[in-house]
Amino acid sequence: MTWLAISLIVIGLVFLVIGSIGILRLPDVFSRAHALSLTDSLGAIFVLLGLAVYEGFTINFLRIIVVLILVYLLNPVISHATIRAAYRSGLRPSKKENK
Amino acid sequence: MTTFFFFVLITLTLLMLVYFYRVVRGPSVFDRVLGLNGISTKAIVLLVVIGTLFERVDMFIDISTGYALLNLVGALAIAKFLEERGASEK
Amino acid sequence: MRIFAAIALFVLWLVLSASYNLIHITIGAIIASMISWFTPAGPLHVRRISWLAVLGYVPWLFGRILKSSFHVSRLILHPGLPIAPELIHHKTQLTSDGELVVLGNSITLTPGTITVEVAPGELVVHTIDKSSCKDLVNGLYDAKVSHLFLAKGDQ
Repeated sequence: MTWLAISLIVIGLVFLVIGSIGILRLPDVFSRAHALSLTDSLGAIFVLLGLAVYEGFTINFLRIIVVLILVYLLNPVISHATIRAAYRSGLRPSKKENK
Repeated sequence: MTTFFFFVLITLTLLMLVYFYRVVRGPSVFDRVLGLNGISTKAIVLLVVIGTLFERVDMFIDISTGYALLNLVGALAIAKFLEERGASEK
Repeated sequence: MRIFAAIALFVLWLVLSASYNLIHITIGAIIASMISWFTPAGPLHVRRISWLAVLGYVPWLFGRILKSSFHVSRLILHPGLPIAPELIHHKTQLTSDGELVVLGNSITLTPGTITVEVAPGELVVHTIDKSSCKDLVNGLYDAKVSHLFLAKGDQ
């Protein structure tokens, strides 16, 4: 059980690191939001799931799952609100064509 | 196992520094908001990791739940304010 | 209808408070019944959701998220950064508030696509790549979301 928890946490950390690299590399605010959504939806979820598995099947397992569902429901709302504010105040995505 | 959780803690803190770079340098104000959002997501995870490290998860989960809800309200307020005002200040 | 909300709030109280003596359980029951009694019924009625379809939808969405996460990770780690961001206007048949919320949240949760603007019948979606918006343009998301709600149209 401990090894399952460790592997889940390490997978989550890998996604968190990739999201941070994306935050540094991507050119404009719309593209950076994609990297942030990658971080939120997989990295945090895997780390929290690993911590819940490490905790074992007690009441704390259920409470970590509640935090996980909160992150899952609320983070898209936040990033959509930010991106909509950027769109409505006149920013447009840059066309960087180097396929 | 304590060493592993300490490693996780250090990694999360370093990643928060990366987002903090985006908050300081970000060309537009929305980049800063996005960086703060990323930092707060890490902070939610970080609180649960600290709780596991100290073996007091029951207390720290409450703090992280409250942090998540407060973060939602604050981020929505900032986004609404910027939407009304526009990004006049670079 | 109200009793379901009260039971759900009470279970949430039990999970979050995690102290099971008489006075805490009584306080939780009183607060849950008061909240569900005083809150007006929102636009999202519990009876209209088919919970069986929700049970199928959540694992499907998680599979989509995994798949597109690997795609976006490969784009980010690629040395040439081969992204082609664009805004697409996505026409949809879904008009009710609940369906639009579920559709927009699912699109934003999937890496590679982000909902920018929502109006009944049209979504503005920002995509990072041609291939990550393929299923959205095909209407796969619309079909899946429209199965979640039993009665369509009003509300």
